Amino acid sequence: MVSPAIALAFIPLLLTVLIRCRFYFVLFYRAVLVRIWRDCVTGLSREERAYQYVLTHATPGDPDSILDAFDVWCSKMEFISTIGPKKGKVLDRMLMEQSPLTVLELGSHCGYTTVRIARSLPLGARLYSVEMDQRNAAIAEKIIRLAGFDDDTVELIVNPSDEVIPRLRSEYGLERLDFVFMDHWKKCYLPDLQMLEGTGLLGKGSMIVADNVLFPGAPKFLRYIRKSGLYEWKVHRATLEYSRGIRDGMAELVFQGIK
Amino acid sequence: MTRDSLITSENDVDIGLEFEGLEDEVDTFQEEHERERHRGKRRDGERAKKKKRGNGEGRKRASRAGREEDKLQARREKKGRRKKSCSDQQAEGREGDEADQPTMKSSKAAKTRKNVKNEKTRKVEKEEKEDEADDEERNRKRKKKHGSNKKEENVEDGNTHTVKEKAGELKKKKHKKVVETSSEKETSEEEDNEEEDSEEKEVRPETLTPEELETLKEAVDERKKLIQGLRGKPWAMKKKLVTLRESQEFVEKYEGALGKGKGRTFYAYKVMMTKKWMKFKRDFGNFKTACIPWEMKIKEIESHFGSSVASYFIFLRWMYGINMILFCLTFGLVMVPEALMGRPYGTIPRKTVPRAEAPSAMDFTVLWDFGGYAQYSVLFYGYYNNQRAIGWLKFRMPLSYFLVGVGTVAYSYMVVIRTMARNANESGVGDDNSFNFSWKMFTSWDYLIGNPETADNKFASITTIFKEAILEEQESRKDDNIHLTRFLRVLANFLVLCCLAGSGYLIYFVVRRSQKFALDGLENHTWWERNEVNMVMSLLGMFCPMLFDVISALENYHPRVALQWQLGRIFALFLGNLYTFIIALMDEINLKREEENIVKFNITTWEASLYNISASENSTSPPVTIQPADVPRGPCWETMVGQEFVRLIISDTMTTYITLLIGDFLRAVLVRFLNYCWCWDLEAGFPSYSEFDVSGNVLGLIFNQGMIWMGAFYAPCLPALNLLRLHVSMYLQCWAVMCCNVPQERVFKASGSNNFYMAMLLVILFLSTLPAIYTIVTIPPSFDCGPFSGKKRMFDVIQETLESDFPAWFSKVFSSASNPGLVLPFILLMVLAIYYLQSTSKSYKEANVDLKKKLQTQNEENKKKNKLAALKAQMDLEEARKAASPSAEHQKNNNASPDQEADEEEDRGRSSKNGRSPPPHRHDGQLPATRAPVPRNYPHGNQGSAGYLPSFPRENEARMHRVPQRH
Repeated sequence: MVSPAIALAFIPLLLTVLIRCRFYFVLFYRAVLVRIWRDCVTGLSREERAYQYVLTHATPGDPDSILDAFDVWCSKMEFISTIGPKKGKVLDRMLMEQSPLTVLELGSHCGYTTVRIARSLPLGARLYSVEMDQRNAAIAEKIIRLAGFDDDTVELIVNPSDEVIPRLRSEYGLERLDFVFMDHWKKCYLPDLQMLEGTGLLGKGSMIVADNVLFPGAPKFLRYIRKSGLYEWKVHRATLEYSRGIRDGMAELVFQGIK
Repeated sequence: MTRDSLITSENDVDIGLEFEGLEDEVDTFQEEHERERHRGKRRDGERAKKKKRGNGEGRKRASRAGREEDKLQARREKKGRRKKSCSDQQAEGREGDEADQPTMKSSKAAKTRKNVKNEKTRKVEKEEKEDEADDEERNRKRKKKHGSNKKEENVEDGNTHTVKEKAGELKKKKHKKVVETSSEKETSEEEDNEEEDSEEKEVRPETLTPEELETLKEAVDERKKLIQGLRGKPWAMKKKLVTLRESQEFVEKYEGALGKGKGRTFYAYKVMMTKKWMKFKRDFGNFKTACIPWEMKIKEIESHFGSSVASYFIFLRWMYGINMILFCLTFGLVMVPEALMGRPYGTIPRKTVPRAEAPSAMDFTVLWDFGGYAQYSVLFYGYYNNQRAIGWLKFRMPLSYFLVGVGTVAYSYMVVIRTMARNANESGVGDDNSFNFSWKMFTSWDYLIGNPETADNKFASITTIFKEAILEEQESRKDDNIHLTRFLRVLANFLVLCCLAGSGYLIYFVVRRSQKFALDGLENHTWWERNEVNMVMSLLGMFCPMLFDVISALENYHPRVALQWQLGRIFALFLGNLYTFIIALMDEINLKREEENIVKFNITTWEASLYNISASENSTSPPVTIQPADVPRGPCWETMVGQEFVRLIISDTMTTYITLLIGDFLRAVLVRFLNYCWCWDLEAGFPSYSEFDVSGNVLGLIFNQGMIWMGAFYAPCLPALNLLRLHVSMYLQCWAVMCCNVPQERVFKASGSNNFYMAMLLVILFLSTLPAIYTIVTIPPSFDCGPFSGKKRMFDVIQETLESDFPAWFSKVFSSASNPGLVLPFILLMVLAIYYLQSTSKSYKEANVDLKKKLQTQNEENKKKNKLAALKAQMDLEEARKAASPSAEHQKNNNASPDQEADEEEDRGRSSKNGRSPPPHRHDGQLPATRAPVPRNYPHGNQGSAGYLPSFPRENEARMHRVPQRH
């Protein structure tokens, strides 16, 4: 039998782990436990609940108010992995500086980021948003339309990204991508990037932004861009959206081409 | 003739090139030329001086002397050469030719040749000028200039003479070359310089007059001075290097020539020996570095992890050294004599395993707990006999035991305090407050880092340090919500105190419980319960620092301050734990002593019964021999204390190693290989690889050492164990660091914290000797075990020795010296002396600070002055330029003599085109000497102060007049 005194000696360790990982515990609670519970109670999916909230609390046709409503819902009620207001500001700045004409977004989820990008685009720019999941895409479509962006500005493509990218040139008649935003499956960052390189849509100065490269993290992606030498890159360090203590980063890559 | 000589000289050069092979040929050629020229110049300058003084007669004599010298030299050369290069016939023949030529040469021939020669040297000179006009060493220039100037003055009357000189010079040059070629034949590249030097030594001094020697000596001295002060000169690095190389060459070359007369060979020998000695010293230094244990390992770690991690390993090595000496003392003076000369195992009760324990005495579990045979061996206090002298050496065992116990502690004190004093000298130089940002700017890089990742980290940490420092500056002006911060800090300290109290109580509880178990008999309890104390202590020591770390996040201190708080808290924790352990041990000691009294009483009854039995049986039969294993014995608290400490050390070591293996290695393996199939980035994200915890490791080491100091008196095996532990942990930790740790995110330099560790070590040393001294002084030793059994106190052994081993007067002196009337004044005196020394050191420190301030203000003043001077120089230059511009043309035609040098340097052809006819003597072979290489950037005026050097007055004038012409 293990003596109780030895067990007592483990209390400091327990406390340390609890305090150190409190943000992860909170995240786990909000993102998993609350979600499961709400799913059971309401019978709706998380995205649908978010849409309902936005619909009732935001002004239609005003992207800012929609984004605000989203932020409130995500920080107060439940957790949805979007880009969040803080990293969103960085993204806005990058878009302002770049003012891209053709933008590709991989993983629109429920449209938060799509609205965010679309509102800071210059006139005549076009945003292609790729979403794999049918139900999420439906909600994203609604949100985008609610924000007042029509088909000319934002085109939603419901397909997995690895199928869409090779066909971008042939089906959508794209010649060059000025700006690519990645926020889909972290595992797909690297293959999609390589595919983009393969299609030749990236020109000198094209900017690629990848969210969540530190948490949940895309190590292979980071390793690749570090090695490849095709890009000028940096990681904007920030915290995870709607959470203070978890460190995360957004990678900003500028395609340089082969020198 | 001239043709011939020219060709032969070229041939010589070719030969030289052939044999040189490896070197850059053109360079060596040019250098040779230049060196030769310099030498000639200097000699000429000297001659000229002499001439001036001693007019015609002196001149004649000098020239004659010069010729004779040359002849003599030629002969000598020949001899030397023959000796050397008899193998190569052809070369020798040619040399012979050349050696003859100069003697036959007439002045006329010399003149004609001179012109041809001139062209050549001029060309060479030009090239050189371009290469190193700037790098040319200033002193040499000046020297040259003096010589040449004087020569110019004397040029009318010394015209013919110079020609002769010329001839001599050429001759000499040729000689030299030939010698070189011959020597190069047989010697390797490396040695050829030395060879040349020795040749030089042989040849030169005879050709030199005392005055020349004097100037040469001066020049050499000047070079030496220059080399010494070179580091502080505000020059570009390239220039410094070039100057250094040139000066060293010069010194090396002419140093040998300075000896006089008969002492010359001795002098040369001496110079050679100094060179050899220096080389030997260097080699020996290398050898010494190679002998330092683990030096390469530590250097490698240092390059990967920065100096803070390396400082831990250096500390570990230092500790190892100290333990080595402690081990030597205890092993050589206590354990070995007892094992060799003392009574063997099984002769007396204290050296035998009791009958009851005998069956299990060899079991592994018992031995692992240091019971059984391990307990009854030299490893522990109880085994030693109280016999006064053992063996044929009459080794005083108890005395030796006592003195070694005292000596180890005394030695440790000495070493620690000495190291602290040495470190204090090093660290107490700069004041960090006055130039905060400058310090950070210029001193924050760790130049020992050799790993790109660590360098990145260091870079990042320096950046953050700057950010923090700026923030701090800002925050020092405004204070927001200081009450909240204060409250949080108080709260954090309260939590930490709670934690400390809890851990202390837990340990106390556990120790008391273990006493209860011990009374019940250890066999009835599980392994967990038996090792509860050590386990709990190790676990608390491991986990509580983590908790402190988390709590300290509340306080929002600067990281360096936070680190010190953290260290202090861990220190308090360890100390508390240790002292709780000791207090519990004291309780146990008291218990044992009570038990001992009972046993003592029992033994007397037992002996009496034994006597009765033997008496009643038969009075004539021999007394019954009792097996020593059967004799009842006391509990022997000293051995118990020793055992406790040994167990503690063992379990501590095991915990450290297991933590290392699990916490570092296993974690690294998991992170590395699970990363392929995990939903987040393990390497960059949450578990990551571990960092090397410098402060925790150092503290662990320090406390481990404290336990050794505490327990070494009762268990002589402790230093040996510790040595083993340190040795293993050196290798294990080196491996673990290199294999599974990542460089710290905040790489900080270790220099400041080194003395902090030492101070902690000193405190621990003091605190660990306290209980040991207390037990030695107050508690009487056990009656039937250990070297002091039968005495009232342990230190009685000294009195005993004094009484029986020393003459009577000595003990009388000792006793009279130790009476309070003498001791008290002595102590008073000592206190006074300490006070005096401290106050003087304080005043010295103040004086130091004052001097520093004075120096600083002076520096500022100097800076101002320099700025003013530079400004003034620039203005002067401007004025001169203005004044010169209208009359530039006029001056150029008339005032030719001062700016000739510069003219020649710039463009030789133009001067002749201008119709100016320079005096013929200027265009002979001496000419390079008269031309001082003028630094090109003078006219730009930004170096105005440089032009005001006292040695450049004429040149200065020339430059100023010439400026407008150039633009």
